[in-house]
Amino acid sequence: MKISRTIGLVLICAMWYTLVGIASAQDMVTLRVWTGSSSPVENEFKEAQIAAFEEANPGIDVELLISPDYGTQIRAGFASGDYAEVFTVGQFDFPQWQHDGLLAPGSMYIEAQDDIYQGLRDAFTADGELYCAAKDFSTLALLYNIDAFEAAGIDAPSADWTWNDMAAAAAATTNDDMVGFSAAADKFRWMTLFYANGADVFDMDGAVAFDSDAAIEALGFYQSFVADGTGDLPGNLNAGWNGEAFGQASAAMTIEGNWAIGYLNDTFPDLNWGVAEIPVAPNGGRGTLTFTECWAVSSRAEGAVAEAAWALVNFLTGEGEHGGHAVAAAGFGVMPARAQFADLWSETVGEEYAAFVTGAGYATAPIFPLGFGDLDAAVNEATSLVMTMEDDVADALTEAADVAREIQAEME
Amino acid sequence: MSAATTAAGNPVAIQDQAQQNRSDAFAGLSFVAPAAIVLFVFLILPLLVALYFSFTNWSGTRPLDHPEAYEVVGLKNYDRWLVSGRRVDDFYRAIRNTLYYVIGVVPVQTVFALLLAVVVNQRWLTRKGFFRTAFYFPSITSSIVVSFIFLFLFSAGGPINAVLGALSPNYEPVAWTTNNDGLFHLLLESLGITEDTVGAWVETEIMDIDIWEWIAGPSVALSTIMALAIWTTTGTLMVIYLAALQGIPSSVYEAAEVDGATNWAQFRHITLPLLKPTTFFVVTLGLIGTFQVFDQIYVLQNDQTGRTTTSVAYLVYNTAFEGNSPNLAEASAIAIVLFVIIFIATILQRRFVGGDRAEE
Repeated sequence: MKISRTIGLVLICAMWYTLVGIASAQDMVTLRVWTGSSSPVENEFKEAQIAAFEEANPGIDVELLISPDYGTQIRAGFASGDYAEVFTVGQFDFPQWQHDGLLAPGSMYIEAQDDIYQGLRDAFTADGELYCAAKDFSTLALLYNIDAFEAAGIDAPSADWTWNDMAAAAAATTNDDMVGFSAAADKFRWMTLFYANGADVFDMDGAVAFDSDAAIEALGFYQSFVADGTGDLPGNLNAGWNGEAFGQASAAMTIEGNWAIGYLNDTFPDLNWGVAEIPVAPNGGRGTLTFTECWAVSSRAEGAVAEAAWALVNFLTGEGEHGGHAVAAAGFGVMPARAQFADLWSETVGEEYAAFVTGAGYATAPIFPLGFGDLDAAVNEATSLVMTMEDDVADALTEAADVAREIQAEME
Repeated sequence: MSAATTAAGNPVAIQDQAQQNRSDAFAGLSFVAPAAIVLFVFLILPLLVALYFSFTNWSGTRPLDHPEAYEVVGLKNYDRWLVSGRRVDDFYRAIRNTLYYVIGVVPVQTVFALLLAVVVNQRWLTRKGFFRTAFYFPSITSSIVVSFIFLFLFSAGGPINAVLGALSPNYEPVAWTTNNDGLFHLLLESLGITEDTVGAWVETEIMDIDIWEWIAGPSVALSTIMALAIWTTTGTLMVIYLAALQGIPSSVYEAAEVDGATNWAQFRHITLPLLKPTTFFVVTLGLIGTFQVFDQIYVLQNDQTGRTTTSVAYLVYNTAFEGNSPNLAEASAIAIVLFVIIFIATILQRRFVGGDRAEE
């Protein structure tokens, strides 16, 4: 008897709480927010942003999940159809996720879109519709070792530095302990020169142009450092990546992103280094690559939930004090996606790194269209073969371009 | 039990017996049920699901409740990777790399494990505990951590090159982790044989890769990864051998000694035959583990060595999660092919090593 009475009491309590829960859930909107884990500082920053949002919007409850294995986490969510209302999307995932109908269109909701850098908007636009709001980004620039330049008796790179100037500087700084340039066999390094030289994956008519003369010239220039001994691959310089080779002064120059700022200053505090824009191409063109991530809203969010979700996205990425302003003022590696905060970012991290943010004006997000995964693999292989001097530049690029042509033919 | 002893010819007893058998069977089934269910849910079912998705075009990101989540496309994924697609060469290169890896690692780690086990099992050895721990230590260390340590040891200016340089004045530092040259190619080259001198037949393509590339041997970079694998797994296999060695009754050896058998004869004619089931087990474990090699490759491969170090398991990961068009269905197809290869390899190995478990 006693036991059944206890059970009855428990059941009544459970029902009561459920009813109360349902009642209060009607005025409360709950948002699940998923993102990937990065540095502890950045994770704390995201937590603070969300806390500020909850304080400003008492009717919205945010469940933030910062996942160390974000890709797997969100994919499992996608597959089951049960995923967050607001989540981050990397630029390389965007075409697939957009195609799979996971993202809600954002042109109508994202505030002050013109202020977001063109390159970043392009990365998250499909069929003329802007899907999500870039939260921050990185670009590549030319890092140079000031001491090595002084020792070689050459001037620091100026704003109108050309490829020839760069080649001359690499030759001048190469000595027994150091090469002029650390050139990783990574497509996302030489393609800065590719875009600077006016090359593109497709030409104006949509035909594959990956093996155009401009493209061959760009990769040829990048390879020339290894070919004439004024540069080398980081692996041959006793380093895991460009940043390490540059930091330990095995190379006087390299092309790396703004993520190297924190790394170099922490790991190699004595290194005296500066940043310049990617040198001007022979045709006078400029270019660099950008890597970005955005906050998106789930296509499954509806009504009040969708409204709350877009409010959060604008809070995190917009013009308010907790959006782009906060990213700029926090001053860790990544840069704010809005041009109006560029100066604030440079002030925070130091004017000497301004070249990274200057590059944003003409940067391209190097994304191949959906279905061109084989091109991705082919360009990787071409880069590897060229940089290990196993293949001729023109042959390697033609082979990669042929893959793209084949894909294109199959799609039609 | 009483039924069994008094049964003969009695119809009632026979009925009892049948009932007894049934309830025995039920009891037996209920005992294995937890393990069987776990095995089914977490092993068999995922395998069947992977098999199913390998016949579809599911990207892995489109929700399965979406009306157009995927279509069944038959053998298209298999055709694309095994027969006529653009990535066929990548697949067979991964097969080649994995085969060299298996053939290089399994025999060496098995022999090393046996030798170490025999050594630490010797009566004359003092401080057995220390040696056993030392040999086993690499196995219990995180393979990612160990991989990074190897990356440091084998880097161009790392300790390995420094030691070799100190030993031999003419030594040219080897870029252990980035060199793509195949060992057999290097060997042939030192004998004066190169692609140009052999003749045109080596350029014949078998499965999209020319013969000269097939016979390249493991690249220097892959060999470094193989050394790492041997170093880490030998300890585990040693423990298995050690347990088996201690299970051999000492009376057998004493009898052999009385008959005047030398140490070598004892090892050759007593230890080895008695360890045969263990060797079967160790080789099977080794085969499965090496065919599936992933984490060492994940850490140690780099932009330069993709072609000579990518393993089949890494290709599965890469297809499923990386790049611009990740595709879970194609990754499933490659994984199923890998499963079939491992299955066949294990059966063949059972034929040759002949470790029939029933003989134990």
